[in-house]
Amino acid sequence: MTMPGHIGNAPLLEVRNLSLTFHKGKQPAVDRVSFSIKAGSTVGLVGASGAGKSSVARAILQLVKPDSGEILFKGKNIGLMDPRALKTARQSIQMVFQDPSVSLSPKRTVEQTLMEPLQHFEIGDAESRPEKALQILRTVGLDQSAMHRYPHQFSSGQQQRIAIARALVTDPELLIADEAVASLDVSIQAQILLLIQKLQTELGITFLFISHDLAVIRQIASEVAVLYRGQLLEQSPADRFFSQPAHPYSKTLLSFAKGETPPGWTGDKWHLHRGQRPVDEPSACVFAAFCPDKLPKCESTEPAMFSIESGNQHVTGPQCVKCHLYDEVNSHDH
Amino acid sequence: MKTPALKVDDLSVWFEKSGVRVPVVDHISFTINAGDATGLVGESGCGKTMTAMAILGLLPASGFGVSCAGIEINGRDISRLNASRRRAILGRDIAIIFQQPATALDPVFTIGQQVGAVYRRHFGGGKKQVRQTMLETLESVGFKQADDIAAAYPHQLSGGMRQLAMIAMATVCKPAIIIADEPTTALDGSTRTLILHQLKHLQALHRAAVLFISHDLGVVRQICRNVMVMYCGRIMESTDCESLFSHARHPYSAGLLSCIPRISAGRPEPVSAIPGQVPSAGDLPAGCHFAPRCTRAEARCHDSVPEPDDQTGGGAACFRPL
Repeated sequence: MTMPGHIGNAPLLEVRNLSLTFHKGKQPAVDRVSFSIKAGSTVGLVGASGAGKSSVARAILQLVKPDSGEILFKGKNIGLMDPRALKTARQSIQMVFQDPSVSLSPKRTVEQTLMEPLQHFEIGDAESRPEKALQILRTVGLDQSAMHRYPHQFSSGQQQRIAIARALVTDPELLIADEAVASLDVSIQAQILLLIQKLQTELGITFLFISHDLAVIRQIASEVAVLYRGQLLEQSPADRFFSQPAHPYSKTLLSFAKGETPPGWTGDKWHLHRGQRPVDEPSACVFAAFCPDKLPKCESTEPAMFSIESGNQHVTGPQCVKCHLYDEVNSHDH
Repeated sequence: MKTPALKVDDLSVWFEKSGVRVPVVDHISFTINAGDATGLVGESGCGKTMTAMAILGLLPASGFGVSCAGIEINGRDISRLNASRRRAILGRDIAIIFQQPATALDPVFTIGQQVGAVYRRHFGGGKKQVRQTMLETLESVGFKQADDIAAAYPHQLSGGMRQLAMIAMATVCKPAIIIADEPTTALDGSTRTLILHQLKHLQALHRAAVLFISHDLGVVRQICRNVMVMYCGRIMESTDCESLFSHARHPYSAGLLSCIPRISAGRPEPVSAIPGQVPSAGDLPAGCHFAPRCTRAEARCHDSVPEPDDQTGGGAACFRPL
């Protein structure tokens, strides 16, 4: 992990011990999640539906109040900000949602949609704003003719470009994309992925990219963070994750994504998997019931997050994993 | 030659807009043998679902026009049956799995009632026997606790389980043909893989012919032997999956393939996009509909429609295939 406060190396965003419960007494949607995003990197947040991916994103923007934990943006705690500071922070952290047909207002022209953030954040003046809007529109591959049209007059791919333009118009440093390509056809998805790659390289925008599709994540992420039942089980550099995933759940996810059924997975295991948390023991590892590599202590003690340090992995960051298998490895080492 | 389980001959679907015929499915023909799965892939709006609905006769009579030389199930033409005869076939000889089980299942009946109703509608039988068949079917799609599932209402199940219940409804009468319309699109990776495995297993078990509709070529490759690539209502290429993936011949198929991101251990090959956009149904270009977006197009591509280049009606419908 990057040391907080170390200038130059400081992450753009740091999430520490974030927890969020929607229903009191029920399993938390987000359970003590910690991770960091370095400026200029793209973290892919992956997991099955219901793992808590969107809840993490919403909590970062303070769209829902977390129960506990800290969210540091450029070292400052977002949760403790006064409304004015929060507004400034939000100007730098923008979000793109899954379905542009819902996230764009049907009653506003593209121009109105793009002008609103500029007015809200008091960026530029009446003269410069339309210019800025047009410039962003061109960045996402649309032109002047789009300005006075309404969302329904565009294809779904163009609508998502408009949604991305709306997020870009405030010159954000961090873009949170929540399943931003999931509802698109592959050919349109490819166009949007290329656009995102362009934003990464040309504008240097940092991304938190949420997706259940590992192939999409492989295209654009420099790091991968794996969520399962609200808990972060692994954060690894992408090249490392896709060649040597550490956590047994990561391996499971990866085989499913390749269209393979991992050994030992049967239908009824999966039905359990989809339902309530199967192990009553609250201190067990969340993945214990389905883990092919389970140790006896996995059902009684929760593992801590370990950092696997090997070779030259420090160039992109260490591989962190929350699994007892690695405390075995570590204890042998000592 | 053996009779194919499903034979669709020269099927067209259109609607009329201010007096003008707008084609949505344009003279397509194909066959599927028993025990085979054929994928129908293409982007939203290309006519995949319309093809399925036309085969089933489920298109609303007002608004749509359908013409065909024949739709045969095991050699029997069903395209000219009246409504009640057709209803007797739906669910028994040919069944469909819809994309959204949440809306396709009825919220006020239990899964058991809904699966049982399909069987009783076609085969009658006493309460006990219907229940027995219903439970066996639920087990066959992978539910170990079939009793519990039978008693559950759709909202009590997860998306994946609902889709399995939907598959149980489609297979309870062991139909010769199953049409699966984007059955895994709304599901995440692990659920998708398991549903596909289950579908493959059932297909092998009942030797059903499956028409598998999807926009996802990767999914089609997992389950189908053959594949048809559709664009603007026409079949652009029809071949076996392995050939398509190793050597796509139609430039549109090749373009679609290069759009798919792949999982690799090393640095991934970047995706590439097909230039331009899918034209709208009312505004299709003359000649090959893909010509304006095609990097290989020449003059004749803009004037005349290429025929499939394989003698058997398969291959690529392209003047300049790859």
